Amino acid sequence: MQLVLSWPVRLLVVGILVLSLFVDGSGYVYRIANHYKLTGPVPGLPPNFGGWQLYFHKGLDLSGGTHIDYQLTNFPNGQNRADVQQRTIAVINKRVNALGVSEPEIRGAGANNDRITVDLAGVNADQAQKTIGAVSKLVYTKWVKDDKVQGGPQQGYKPALTGLTGDDISSATATIDSNGTSWVVNVQFTSTGGSKFDALTRDAVAACPGAGNDCPQRHLTIWLDLTQKDIDNWEDSSYVAKLGTRYDPGCLAAQTPDTVCGKFLTDPTTVEEIAGGQAQISGAFTQQSATDLATGINSGSLPVDLVALDVTQVSATLGAESVKLSIAAGLLGLAIVVVFMMVYYRLPGVLASLALIFYAGAVLAVFKLVPVTLTLAGITGFILSVGMAVDANVLIFERFKEEVRAGRTITAAVDAAVRRAWPAIRDSNTSTIITCVILAFIGPAVVQGFAKTLAIGVVVSLISSIIVTHNLLAIVLAGSSFRRAGLLGVDRVRTL
Amino acid sequence: MSERSDVDAAEQSADIVADGAPEAKVAPAPVAEPKTRRLNITGRRNLFFALSLIIIVPGIVSMATKHFALGIDFAGGTELTVAFANHPSLAQVQGAVDAEGVNGSVISTGGDGYIIRYPPLTASQVTGIEADLKNRLGPTNVQQILVVGGTIAGETIALSALAVVVASVAILMLLAIRFRNVPGGWRAGFQFGGSALAALLHDVFILTGIFSIMGALLHWRIGEIDAFFVTAVLTVVGFSVHDTIVVFDRIRENLRVSQRLSFEQVVNLSIMQTAARSIITSFTVVLVLAGILIAGGSTLQGLALALLIGIVSGTYSSIFNAAPLLVVWRRLQPLR
Repeated sequence: MQLVLSWPVRLLVVGILVLSLFVDGSGYVYRIANHYKLTGPVPGLPPNFGGWQLYFHKGLDLSGGTHIDYQLTNFPNGQNRADVQQRTIAVINKRVNALGVSEPEIRGAGANNDRITVDLAGVNADQAQKTIGAVSKLVYTKWVKDDKVQGGPQQGYKPALTGLTGDDISSATATIDSNGTSWVVNVQFTSTGGSKFDALTRDAVAACPGAGNDCPQRHLTIWLDLTQKDIDNWEDSSYVAKLGTRYDPGCLAAQTPDTVCGKFLTDPTTVEEIAGGQAQISGAFTQQSATDLATGINSGSLPVDLVALDVTQVSATLGAESVKLSIAAGLLGLAIVVVFMMVYYRLPGVLASLALIFYAGAVLAVFKLVPVTLTLAGITGFILSVGMAVDANVLIFERFKEEVRAGRTITAAVDAAVRRAWPAIRDSNTSTIITCVILAFIGPAVVQGFAKTLAIGVVVSLISSIIVTHNLLAIVLAGSSFRRAGLLGVDRVRTL
Repeated sequence: MSERSDVDAAEQSADIVADGAPEAKVAPAPVAEPKTRRLNITGRRNLFFALSLIIIVPGIVSMATKHFALGIDFAGGTELTVAFANHPSLAQVQGAVDAEGVNGSVISTGGDGYIIRYPPLTASQVTGIEADLKNRLGPTNVQQILVVGGTIAGETIALSALAVVVASVAILMLLAIRFRNVPGGWRAGFQFGGSALAALLHDVFILTGIFSIMGALLHWRIGEIDAFFVTAVLTVVGFSVHDTIVVFDRIRENLRVSQRLSFEQVVNLSIMQTAARSIITSFTVVLVLAGILIAGGSTLQGLALALLIGIVSGTYSSIFNAAPLLVVWRRLQPLR
């Protein structure tokens, strides 16, 4: 106790709080002076504290957007799972950047590095899933004779993987072909990819040489995401009938192990050997589908399969509504508490209200500094911490009245009240903080946001009630004109 | 930091007064005039225990037989929150949803708002349903879409239960440590911790029981439990312990300075001295919550109601259950 109330500590804590308010406040002044908008991130605004712009980071339930939890499956054998997870995150990042989302949040999760959580503000679930799960793994196949094959692009033949895939492509661009009539995708192979492609085209032409000749072996077919498992099923005609239809990005992005989606892209005849590592993919593209394919190829392929475990989409209007409601609820709560304290505890109540407003400002500044992502549950935690902040004050004031009734002088009563209320305040808040820490680590995601804001609120409220309220009381009551029974809410006051 | 107050004991005992209605054989001489209104709470403890049981027992029966009405994040599935511009009736919306043949059910949220629930669907299915609703019922405003798979739902339940259990144990340990220096040592510490834990479980059971009755028995939508409900339970755990610690702290202090009073009298006195604070604090929080319940949107109303029930219960249990329980425990296991 002595430690907490010693003057250097008081000055230090008050100093930190004032500084945090000053930094936050000066941020607003800077924004107003330079005609920036007052809330949210501003592109081009120089960072105004420790390299950070200060603003409230709103969770998706307040800003509107989509949240998806993905399960990663089919990890490649013999690779470090954490690395695979990081690579997957990098690919998702590239894909999402094409959407132009501000501050996308893509985090790894799961005890086994087998989860990825994606938060995208202002994007609907459909668009998000199509972009993230977009299949971009180009697969080149050649054809081998198999008499049992009934359907597919080449009757009596089944495809064989050539080892040439989208991973061998260094860049892809969507463009209009030389005739200026249809959309195509130009690809540039890497050096190994280029030589693989050169060899494949040479073999294809050699299968039935001569200009104008055509045979199935002369076709190098391009698929999206074709696997060996698909090829093994090639003799099942109904399977091939579905698989051999034009690729369906929506189906592929949302596929489950049991769905069969179209994966066929194009089946061109190889006219001549192509060296130099450049090729063109044509095949009834629209501008959109050509661009999507190019973007997909450029961002690389996912090393694993993604299965969406849960999807949450909140519209921006609902988010804005929630923001309004929580601000209203917070202000209402604060107003009720302030009025009640002033009526019931008179002068100490007024001082506690001052401390409370100070407290609210400090907590909000901490939220911006950390930064804490505010969600509905988080705001509830904050509003509740207001209740707990009041509690510490109530404990002190009730004790203060008792001490005055017991015949102490005002000054002695203030000190005794704070000192005697301290064990209860300390123990009760410790229990809350312990609960919060446990929740922040093992609770479900919603609960974690709540636990963080509540913990910050409780810590600041401890400082606010013990140090700020106490010092305000001590300073104000040093003036004898305030030492009146009526002002203090007690029956009589002992005068020295 | 020392537990000892540096105000000396003799001086402090001046404000400790004997219980007004002692049933004890050796009645201490009443000191001074009564300063706090005196009720004999520890004496009537059986009445208060019974009152708690009246609510808890039906709640437990309901939980055991009917379980809970689960919200989407616990049950899994797909939930669309939609507002229609053309003001269709509930029957019209239900008709349109039935025609989709995906096994959907419709709940009205008042006004033009509806919540439509399906089994878990894929993204393309959801897009299809959105388009279909638009076709059948006119312009829609889809406010929220939730798709929760079984894995996540199971994990949320497991994590929530684990969080409650771990938090309870941690609180028991904290109290045992904090109260081990009252006369009686560690064993007394566990008596304090255990009584607080009992009061905490009391509040958890009251809250979950009432929600089971409202949700599973009466089929009110506000009685559905979801992750927000877990948040509420945990907050109530925090508040309940908060209240209980304040009473126990006073008992700890009074035990040190008053040698003349019996344990039961000390407890009763401590309850009386702290009741005003407990009720005032809870009252302010209740006011805030009532505000959210009335003004808040449907997302926050369930949370506010749960907190309201839990905090009232928490205040009741710390005054009327935790401390009297301590007296019962002390009788069964005397420590002095």
